[in-house]
Amino acid sequence: MRWAALALIAALLAILPWVGDDVMIQYGINALLVATLAQAWNIIGGFTGYASFGNSVFYGLGTYGTAIAMVQFGLPFGVGLALGGALGMLCALLLGLPILRLRGHYFAIATLGLSATMAAIVANLDIAGRNIGLILPLTRNDAMFYEASLALLAATTLTVIWLALSRFGMGLIAIREDEDAAAVMGVNTTFYKVVALVLSSFFTAVAGGIHAYWITFIDPASAFDLTLNVRMVIMAVFGGPGTVFGPLIGSFILSSVYDWLASSISTAAALLFGLVIVIAVVFMPRGLIDLGAGLRRVGWRYLLQNIRLHRI
Amino acid sequence: MSEHPAGPLLEARKLTRRFQGLVAVNEVSIAVNYDEIVGLIGPNGSGKTTLIGLISGTLPPDEGELFFEGKRIEEMAAYRRAHLGIARTFQVMKPFPGLSVLDNVTVGALFGLNGGEHKRARARELARFMVEFTGLGRRMDQRADALGGPDRKRLELAKALAMQPRLLLLDEVMAGLTAVEVDEVIEIIKKIRQEGVAILVVEHVIKAIRSLSDRVCVLHHGQKIAEGDPATVFEDPQVIEAYLGTRRK
Repeated sequence: MRWAALALIAALLAILPWVGDDVMIQYGINALLVATLAQAWNIIGGFTGYASFGNSVFYGLGTYGTAIAMVQFGLPFGVGLALGGALGMLCALLLGLPILRLRGHYFAIATLGLSATMAAIVANLDIAGRNIGLILPLTRNDAMFYEASLALLAATTLTVIWLALSRFGMGLIAIREDEDAAAVMGVNTTFYKVVALVLSSFFTAVAGGIHAYWITFIDPASAFDLTLNVRMVIMAVFGGPGTVFGPLIGSFILSSVYDWLASSISTAAALLFGLVIVIAVVFMPRGLIDLGAGLRRVGWRYLLQNIRLHRI
Repeated sequence: MSEHPAGPLLEARKLTRRFQGLVAVNEVSIAVNYDEIVGLIGPNGSGKTTLIGLISGTLPPDEGELFFEGKRIEEMAAYRRAHLGIARTFQVMKPFPGLSVLDNVTVGALFGLNGGEHKRARARELARFMVEFTGLGRRMDQRADALGGPDRKRLELAKALAMQPRLLLLDEVMAGLTAVEVDEVIEIIKKIRQEGVAILVVEHVIKAIRSLSDRVCVLHHGQKIAEGDPATVFEDPQVIEAYLGTRRK
């Protein structure tokens, strides 16, 4: 029943390029990619409890991996994506082993500096076009980009569903809830954390690759953009971190709200968007999904209870 | 009992652990045999919890050797010791706060002895049994952070049992319980022993130590000062002095 509903939603989304106009398709590509990023962040941030600000690095590496493969070596898009994804995973593996030893705020802070570092490195590489960037071959085929983004989001979500149902996912959740207890109960915490980060990095990097080919121009500043990482976190947390559908719902709602604000009152959009997030996090710190569990729980009483539970 | 290999299940030789200047555990040698309950007592700060940490793998020892079924394990990561069959409870309880009681215990079933029961449905069944066994049946679907103190103690026990341990390290599972609750936990521990689980039990509740232990070890300032059957150990003047101070002449 549930699976049928999911398949139906996916099928409905898949036919959009044949029924929607260009603006809708372009909005769709963006929304799907951002949802993928939020869902991928959910693996390391929501399930494993490690608030990663290094995902924008994986995104950037996917972007550059794809672009370099296509521009410098003339390889096809699919190969470029695979290389971009592999580059992101390699980075996650090498970074994860030392950095995942840090916990809580220290992990977040350690990952925070990575984007700027990586942007500086890339800006000095000839193969990456230094700080001018790279221009990819132009392809006017938005339907293809839309379907690729949808397929990626579906793959990411299926992975998260698997986490929610599997022994592996339970291990990640145990790490999030209490890492020491998880270790003495038999969870190989280092291995689990690194695999979670590598999984997260793969989907993030591939999303970066699709975006690069779609947008056709990349440079270090836009590829390694920390604010993109912040958006992933906000969307996942807004919807409900550690749940299967929370990050999807959160990102679709926030993308729509933002687009609507930007088109109706362009200048104050960012301000209002910020306000929406503050209010949302204050009243439902565990996300929109939490709201669905029982509408009675919204309000001052719940707010106070949440402050008691979640204060640092 | 004859199917067990020769030698003790667990043997520690001259384990030492220092925290900066303080020697928390000082050359302690201790053994736990198959099917045996060993009581570990000592005043506050005598190194009992540190010793549990060294055996379970939460802390690495500075010196000394640790054997489980004759195999050296002092360098082994905590999760691998769990797979060998060593389970512990925490004195400062460590539930998975956001998970239900059943999910908490399921983690133990999924990851314990030999890497646990990989089939989630069967792990859940085992967990359900352990939740009932430790008297938490009515709290099965409650979040762990909604439990009161005594129920959290039971949860610690249920989580460790779901790992199907061969050696169970109990760190003050009776502290803060009422007399009736203590009796219940004593009965539970006796039943666990009947299943062939060896137990090292740290406890301040002397009544529990007396009625459960085959042997008692006493730690004081990180050193083992006495060992033997409960009746003899509790008469030992050194032990009495460690607990009550020197008798005035």
